[in-house]
Amino acid sequence: MAVSGCGTSTNSSSGTETKEITVWLMDGSAAPTLTDALNKEFESANGIKVKYEVQKWTGIQEKLTTALASSTPPDVIELGNTQTASFADQGTLMDLTADASKLNGGEWLGGLKDSLTLNGKQYGMPFYAANRTVIYRTDLFQAAGIAKPPTSRAEWIDAINKLKAANASNPDFQALYLPGQSWYFLLSLLWDEGGDVAKQDGGKWTGTLDTPQSKAGFEAYKALYDASATKKAPADIDEAKPQQMEVFGTGNVGMMVGLPWELAGAVKAKPELKDKTAAFPIPSKKAGSFAPVFLGGSNLAIPAASKNADAAKKYLALLSSKKYQDMLAEGGAVPGTSKDTSKLATNAIGKAMADSSPGGKVTPTTPKWAAVEAGQNPLKDALTAYLSGAKSLDQATKDASEAVTKAMG
Amino acid sequence: MTAVKTTETAAPAGGTTPPALPPALTGGARKRRRRGGAFDRALPYLLLAPALIAILWLIGFPVVSVFVTSFRRLNLGELVRGEIVWTGIDNYVTVLQDERFWTVTLRTVVFTVSVVGVSVGAGLLIALLMRVLTPWVRILLQITMLCAWAMPILASATVYIWMFDQNYGILNKTLVRLGFDQFAGHSWFGSGTSTLTVVGLLIVWQAIPFLAFSLYAGLVGVPRDLYEAAGIDGASGWQTFRAVTWPEIKSLLMMVTFLSTLWDFKVFAQIWVFKEGGPSGESTTLAVLQYLEGIAKSHFGVAAAISVLMMLILGLITFQYLRRLLQTEEGKI
Repeated sequence: MAVSGCGTSTNSSSGTETKEITVWLMDGSAAPTLTDALNKEFESANGIKVKYEVQKWTGIQEKLTTALASSTPPDVIELGNTQTASFADQGTLMDLTADASKLNGGEWLGGLKDSLTLNGKQYGMPFYAANRTVIYRTDLFQAAGIAKPPTSRAEWIDAINKLKAANASNPDFQALYLPGQSWYFLLSLLWDEGGDVAKQDGGKWTGTLDTPQSKAGFEAYKALYDASATKKAPADIDEAKPQQMEVFGTGNVGMMVGLPWELAGAVKAKPELKDKTAAFPIPSKKAGSFAPVFLGGSNLAIPAASKNADAAKKYLALLSSKKYQDMLAEGGAVPGTSKDTSKLATNAIGKAMADSSPGGKVTPTTPKWAAVEAGQNPLKDALTAYLSGAKSLDQATKDASEAVTKAMG
Repeated sequence: MTAVKTTETAAPAGGTTPPALPPALTGGARKRRRRGGAFDRALPYLLLAPALIAILWLIGFPVVSVFVTSFRRLNLGELVRGEIVWTGIDNYVTVLQDERFWTVTLRTVVFTVSVVGVSVGAGLLIALLMRVLTPWVRILLQITMLCAWAMPILASATVYIWMFDQNYGILNKTLVRLGFDQFAGHSWFGSGTSTLTVVGLLIVWQAIPFLAFSLYAGLVGVPRDLYEAAGIDGASGWQTFRAVTWPEIKSLLMMVTFLSTLWDFKVFAQIWVFKEGGPSGESTTLAVLQYLEGIAKSHFGVAAAISVLMMLILGLITFQYLRRLLQTEEGKI
């Protein structure tokens, strides 16, 4: 027994009978209708129970670290695309290169495939991608006399001012809910101005937040932040604390820069918002074009220490099938293992997403990036310091750039 | 070791008594006594030994483990693969070369000293107050403090965050209502000093009940007639405190100060839930730094090195107390 158990990893997992697999998916990633159907089909087809748990994004890096280091990690986990490389680099994820064909490998979404590839090997399966759009209240736009969604940054600020004027009687009204640390949105503005977070030179990464282009991105953020409302969102919180969908759900907010699931959350809390909301792509400073968006997304991976790898692979295979990928697209996400996005364009937010996603960009794809995001994110610190006036633009961006260089060095 | 020593000292002690006994019995009794005495004396220690070993292992093992880990390179990969990579003092070099470490250390020490000073001072004042209060007011005060004490850390931290909220906090609203218009939308977490002050206030609030109760217990033990005597001698309130109260509670006060120092030096949860050591890392203390390195960045070896350094710094701060504690044990005080 012991000898056969110590054989190759494929033998050891098929040798023991799997009764249950643990699946960790993230808050807001797949609709319950999808996961319920998926788990039910998997359970009846394989006779294996699925212990399905939904995790919160806040603090997930730390939670995964602890879980992956334990002897009984979950069998399927969802990882943000920017986190995947570092977890793969540490050898905590199972190499799925050989299984890609069973997981619809030919139709994988390019941007996500890159994020889970390290040294030519694949350490996961793309799940879905999404990018931020400006979600707005159609009824408030109409009441303020804004005929069509803005198509340039100047028009956008104009729309914000019109909304504010039309709702001046409400002291809590925010034309645009923009917390000070919405750093994924900052990336859009940075890229729109031609700046970036870091650049690679001979294998070494250096922060580039203090270039004139990047600084212009920060200035654009401040212009929007200052215009956003009379009673602005605090400069020292991000979009997750409190969840911006909850703030949007109060009805005192005209717009937010968010993801499809955030709108879904707001609608769930306040169903009457369903017919009063739509979305437009984040406008560029150049009229008529869109600002590059951060291509957010998730990959699914199997921890290297999983005891039920074979069952977990079957679970992934089932999820990669067209049926469930279509359901993902219907839910408003770009599916990870199917090139068919026709279902996505059926709603307004999906269309805005599909319009802007071709110009999407990602943060540096290197295992070292995770150190920037984990713990105290220098981009968030720079935003807070600049917006609250604690530091000048030059000082804030210089400090942030140095912190990025240090974290990635 | 202790057990052996005791039996050896027990033998001569036993040897001095026999002469009082009748000569005929002396030899046998002496023999029996010595054997019985040795065993009897050793027995408590033998019975204690399992518990003692268990406690030593429970307490000692993590300490040794942290110390050993501080000389290893232990990132997530090594941890998952179970590899042991020795790096000598590299972790310490990394930590000590980081200029941030020294800023954070200084900040932690200043923070600890201020929080301990304020909380022990306030605790003492409340304890003194409790002694002169009428019984039912005292009981009311004690119940209030018990409630504050029983409140979970994170729950009270959340309440504090709400109170100090920039837009909707009751503090800003009250200040504006009182005419201080500059506090409309004032951010209490805009700088590290301001954030740590609010956190410090929370910690003091949480620490006062324990300190007040302990010190009150000490004050109750001071004989009443000493105060009467002082009163007859015409001592003022301050003189009575200096001459009567102070000597009686000095050692107790030192002990609670020592305990408070231990607790406040390594406080993490409160600081983390407020602003995760922000803004711009300005409220990061050593405990937060250790978490950032160890858990957030998965450099467990570096985090262990910070832990060992924290223990050393704490040892330095409490050096005076520890020295007195050891002297007391040798009977010098």
